[in-house]
Amino acid sequence: MPRFLCLQRSLPTDDRGEAPSPAEMQAMYAKFEDWRRRFADNLVDPGGRLGAGRLVSTGVPDGPFVEVKELVGGYMIVEADDLEAAIAVARGCPGLVRPGSGVEVVEIATS
Amino acid sequence: MSTPGPAPFEHFFRHSYGALVATLSRRFGLQHVAAVEDAAQDALLRALETWPLSGAPDNPAGWLFRVAQNRLLDDLRRQTRRAGLDRRAGLDGPPPDPREPPLAGEIGDDLLRMLFVCCDPRLPTDTALVLALKLLCGFDVREIAQRLSIGEGHVYKRLSRGRQRLRAIGAALDPPPDEHHARLPAVRAVLYVLFTEGRLSLRIDAALRSELCDEALRLTTLLAQHPTGADPETAALVALMHLHRARMPARLDGDGGLLLLDEQDRSRWEGAHIAAGLRWLAASAEGERFTRYHAEASIAAEHCLAPSLAETRWARIVEAYAALERLAPSPMHTLNRALALAEWRGPAAGLALLDGVEPPARAPFGWSAALADLHRRCGHHEAAARYRAAALQSAPTPAIRAALVRRLGGR
Repeated sequence: MPRFLCLQRSLPTDDRGEAPSPAEMQAMYAKFEDWRRRFADNLVDPGGRLGAGRLVSTGVPDGPFVEVKELVGGYMIVEADDLEAAIAVARGCPGLVRPGSGVEVVEIATS
Repeated sequence: MSTPGPAPFEHFFRHSYGALVATLSRRFGLQHVAAVEDAAQDALLRALETWPLSGAPDNPAGWLFRVAQNRLLDDLRRQTRRAGLDRRAGLDGPPPDPREPPLAGEIGDDLLRMLFVCCDPRLPTDTALVLALKLLCGFDVREIAQRLSIGEGHVYKRLSRGRQRLRAIGAALDPPPDEHHARLPAVRAVLYVLFTEGRLSLRIDAALRSELCDEALRLTTLLAQHPTGADPETAALVALMHLHRARMPARLDGDGGLLLLDEQDRSRWEGAHIAAGLRWLAASAEGERFTRYHAEASIAAEHCLAPSLAETRWARIVEAYAALERLAPSPMHTLNRALALAEWRGPAAGLALLDGVEPPARAPFGWSAALADLHRRCGHHEAAARYRAAALQSAPTPAIRAALVRRLGGR
């Protein structure tokens, strides 16, 4: 079954929306638990948050480069029949919680 | 892959917010309260983003504390670097990190310390109440507005006034011990108002009301178990909260309608709360002072102990209301004494007690409703109809109006 890399990104927007309150977070946590159970078979690697990094290149980099973590907050790998199915999994993931967060879903090509 | 841990306990996020704010404010100073609140919020968001995938850590509170503290340090460094104020902000000294997460007892200390700070005598009670709901209970502006039935603008205004005061206190978070003692009545008064908001609010639904009462009970119990606040008066306050809380579920019928005392199914009263209330009431009986909380707790205990309305020891309730009137004069207490007297000695005795008593300014619907009922039972049809009309007209919600119609007759 195809695998997909899901990258949590901060979206370039000023409208960060309203952050959830702690009570709302409690309710969302329960929802994420359900999500995880529902898609347990699809979540082959829950991934994690990304820290600092640096771009390595053979040539002389043009820089300056934005640190990777400014753009990408975390990743996970899901298995699904196709991109649409992977998107359906990603849509419910906790990476979307932060206002101004998006998740990029890309197929990991094997051939 | 680690297995995600069990879901955090009920109110984990709100209560962790309160604990983080209290501890970080003590460690870094109240002048940073806004940054502290942001850091707490951010740590909780981080938990929400990662725990469902990676599993909750073994020590969730310690995890949250470390994340929040790091975020706060980053924030403060950025602020001071930008303003070139490292020295003035006191951040050029020995670095405040790394610090260990607080121990459980320390969190209790911190929460109480924050409670005492919120109940600053220079702040009006309604401001202290909003501050406590935000900083200690972890409600946001919209949730506070909803729970207190006030506009969000009012909540903002009170919060910013409160935060201003906290910033002015700054690093000197600890009021001196003698001031702690002097502030204790104000702290109890704020907790009492918090509880009463939950118990008597007519405009919010039952779940929100019990939630407010449970918050008041949590903080008051903390106070009563701590050397700073452990005294008979605080014990009486905890007792009265439990004894009222016990009966709250029985006040609603299946459709959310309001049930009067004689209509309530007493088997729905919560035994655990009654038992706890009676234990605290016994603990409150020490010492010389009999306070309004003692009087109110005794009244609530009498209701809880009565097997039925008819078997209620009304004489004791009348006596306790009389004490309450002396300790905290209010026409509403006189009204309640009259109602208890009417159960004991008949409606005419109740009415006679109210003869010449001025109703409170902007008398609540309960005043007219009680008079309508007493007159009805005395056979004074004209007066009963007059008060009944006034009561129905000023009934604040349809549920209350329905209960009044059942009791007072008519449609």
